[in-house]
Amino acid sequence: MRTSEAAKVPTERISAIQVAVCIGFFLLAGTFWFFQIIQHEQFREMAENNHQRELALRAPRGVLYDRNGRILVENRPSYTVSIVRLHTKDLDRTIRVLAAVAGIEERRVREIVDRAKTLPSYRPIVVLQDATLAQVAAIMARRLDFELPDVVVERVPTRRYPTDAMAAHLLGYVSEATDAQLAADSLRPGAIVGQAGVERTHNKDLMGTDGARTVVVNSLGREIRTLDEVEPTEGRRLKLTIDYDVQKAGEDGFRALGFHGAAAVLDPRTGEVLSFISLPSYDPNSFATGIDRVTWNALNTDKLRPLNNRVIQGRYSPGSTFKIAVAVAALEEGLVTPDFKTHCSGGATFYGRYFKCHLKGGHGTVDMRHAIEKSCNVYFYTLGNMLGVDRIHKWATRLGLGVKSGIDLPNEVEGIMPSTEWKRKRNNEKWYAGETISVAIGQGQVSVTPISLAVMMATVANGGTRFAPRLVKAYDDGQGWKDLEPPPALDTFRFKPATYSAVHDGLWMVVNAAGTGGRGRIPGLDVSGKTGTAQVISLTGRKNARNTDKDLRDHGWFVFFAPRDNPEIAGVIFGEHAEHGYSAAPIARHMIATYYAKKRGEPLPVFTAPGVPPPTPSQEEVPLEDDAPRPVADAALTPTGGER
Amino acid sequence: MFDRRLYFHLDWLLLAALLVLSVMGISMIYSATQATTPRLYQQQVYALLLGLVALTVALSIDYRTLADKSHWIFIGIVLLLIYVMFFGVVRGGARRWIPLGVFNLQPSEFAKIAVALVLAKFYGESRRQSPTRADLITGAAMTALPFLLVARQPDLGTAVTLLPIYLFVAYLAGLPLRMLGVAALAGVLVAPVVWKFGLKEYQKERIETFINPYKDQKGAGYQQIQARITVGSGGLTGKGFTKGTQGQLRFLPVAHNDFIFSAWAEEEGFIGVIVALGLYLLVIWRSLDAAKLSKDRLGAFLVLGVLASFTFQVFYNITMSAGLAPVKGLTLPLMSYGGSSLIATLTGFGLILNVRMRRFTN
Repeated sequence: MRTSEAAKVPTERISAIQVAVCIGFFLLAGTFWFFQIIQHEQFREMAENNHQRELALRAPRGVLYDRNGRILVENRPSYTVSIVRLHTKDLDRTIRVLAAVAGIEERRVREIVDRAKTLPSYRPIVVLQDATLAQVAAIMARRLDFELPDVVVERVPTRRYPTDAMAAHLLGYVSEATDAQLAADSLRPGAIVGQAGVERTHNKDLMGTDGARTVVVNSLGREIRTLDEVEPTEGRRLKLTIDYDVQKAGEDGFRALGFHGAAAVLDPRTGEVLSFISLPSYDPNSFATGIDRVTWNALNTDKLRPLNNRVIQGRYSPGSTFKIAVAVAALEEGLVTPDFKTHCSGGATFYGRYFKCHLKGGHGTVDMRHAIEKSCNVYFYTLGNMLGVDRIHKWATRLGLGVKSGIDLPNEVEGIMPSTEWKRKRNNEKWYAGETISVAIGQGQVSVTPISLAVMMATVANGGTRFAPRLVKAYDDGQGWKDLEPPPALDTFRFKPATYSAVHDGLWMVVNAAGTGGRGRIPGLDVSGKTGTAQVISLTGRKNARNTDKDLRDHGWFVFFAPRDNPEIAGVIFGEHAEHGYSAAPIARHMIATYYAKKRGEPLPVFTAPGVPPPTPSQEEVPLEDDAPRPVADAALTPTGGER
Repeated sequence: MFDRRLYFHLDWLLLAALLVLSVMGISMIYSATQATTPRLYQQQVYALLLGLVALTVALSIDYRTLADKSHWIFIGIVLLLIYVMFFGVVRGGARRWIPLGVFNLQPSEFAKIAVALVLAKFYGESRRQSPTRADLITGAAMTALPFLLVARQPDLGTAVTLLPIYLFVAYLAGLPLRMLGVAALAGVLVAPVVWKFGLKEYQKERIETFINPYKDQKGAGYQQIQARITVGSGGLTGKGFTKGTQGQLRFLPVAHNDFIFSAWAEEEGFIGVIVALGLYLLVIWRSLDAAKLSKDRLGAFLVLGVLASFTFQVFYNITMSAGLAPVKGLTLPLMSYGGSSLIATLTGFGLILNVRMRRFTN
């Protein structure tokens, strides 16, 4: 028999259990304290990411109108399909089902998803833009069956640009913001921003503010209810200075004549841009829904460089159009009066070299007006020699050449307007007086952008007020149109009356008398203008390059304004490889005619092929014009022959 | 049999704590299921009422009388478990239930009480200072029989809860501490061998996932991570009754059952957690007090036997609720949904109250 103590309840061991249990509970409490108090913020956020999904409500970009309120760029609804991986159990299956349902290539979807693998899993990966209604319907049906709970279909406003890529280089295009852009403007990933043209310069105005809808989703991804909804605010509407009909007239003209090039037409009274053309062009619509790589590569490698905005990025030799600047310089400097005469016998000798005029027999004795009309080289050699390069530089610059026009478009370049200082800085060389002679007729190292020539013509047209070309006339924040304050003129120097009348008369005679601009003539409208030829390559260079397939034909210029007195429209037509300036003139004529027909409420004209009406007065002479303003001496003096 | 004196010795505090925990459980079951099966909580209310009846019955009969009949109870349960093996209802791949029309009975829950009774009787009647090796093996065998039957269902979770009963009772009966130490050491030494040869790939994966749940966020680690998010996002005061996003929107699996404590922590916050932990501690502490006060070793062993599986389950489930233990189908006694479990648990506490109530009787 055991002692009675053996049968006693072992209270110590029970107490030990009590202590152990107490410690255990203390540890448990500590654990919960750690998770619920110390790490609460982190878990709260994770729980929120779990069940809250923010769906962006994209703000429609501001609509762009032409000066008369005609819609140029608007928005259309489109559908974007994305995958949100947050609760995806089997991404492979999702991709497979989605590709099958939407009828798209599974490999493509996988590529897109793979590229976005590093993104946080709650961020949607856009796999299909601009989905068709059939695709959307098919996907939504599967979503309701919980087959594709991790696929989101969003309705987003997408840009719609005019057909035929009209004014593409002016309007620009939009696409998803690059990482650099996201960082610079602290944008939401996937934001659509302007990448070129007005879309880019006025991006901030146009963008508006995205809204958001916060929804509660359950673990299957099904939306349970909306927590919060902030409506998007549409971007600012802009009324551009562009006139749709004048723009179209210009593009029709280029198309009908079959060449590429550039055109800029301004209102010389305000600097407003009525038309802005750069051809060949691209279709901005293809960027709006995410351009595919093939199209993008094609645009980039195209020899015709459709992405190049020739109006503000193309630099070409101005040729004879530069004589206008030389005329203004000589007259304004008071070196000559319009009655100043020289004798042209087909050429003249300066600094021991013989410089040819383009008319073999010579123009005889010409004054300023006739020198402009006939584009007499000898007359302008003489003026240039009297002026010297620095005074030419001064006046050309005041007229807007060799400097940026200040148009509110991205990536404008400036032309080159040589001077002694320019040469010293660039080559550390002295300027030779002989070089001035070729500069005087727009050869040599002078180069201009089409927009700067347009500015020159507007400045000449209004008699000495230089405006920066303006693109936006008014804006609407949703509270009605407000006109934008026109910026002050960049430079104002009133032409002497003699300058004004002589230059205007001369330019009028180019078109309406015996000059080369006859194809620009419109009866009763006093169109005034000047043709010019930009050499693509020098004579010797042409010889060397004979066997290449490069287009070596010269470019043709036609600068103009109308009417002669108090002009309302001024501009430039640049015909790429058009060979002669007069070939570009019909485009100007059509644009001017359209402008006036519209103003007078008449039916808009239809473009008529050149050569028929009106007859050019000096047909025979024309091909010679501007053809060879080359010094007889070595071509080295006229390095115009570059690949401009 | 039930005189007024006994009524005065009833541990009303313990009883109240049990009731409060059960009601808390019902409220969470309501909260977690209102969106899908809004009447499910009623089942738990009926189970609570039945459980209280069972508790009253268990406390009315002197535990010594019950212990005397414990071998019959044990044999009855074993027979029921064998019956389940052949005729039980299959749900979720396991055969655990006997359909009783109104509800399904889960005999394995009652097996705990039977094992506690039979072990208490076996070791309580022994007059030796410490159990002999033969005693230990006999006790182990008595535990192993229902263990194997339940594990075969398969319900390893519930089967494992039978082991603490044996360990606690043996410990109280005087099992030398160094034997526990030797067992623990052996476990540590054998673990790598078992890891290498004894475990199947998926089992290894499960353990690995537990150690690093983020390794497999979508698969096995998912529940563990979600449990932790659920708890952590509750904060100090919680998201409010029926306002928990994790439980309500089903990011947390089986919020009314295995993860009810996570759901509780989410909606009632750290304050709620402290209240619940406090109540569980009170229940365990008072029960252990009852064991200390027990008139005889039988009573003390019985209390410990009943309490062992309860305490083990409470600890394991709450640890799992915080995402700190491998996810195993172990419910939280008193709070989790499950009629058999609630009734069996209350029956067990009926026995504990029984022991305390009769501490002065002969």
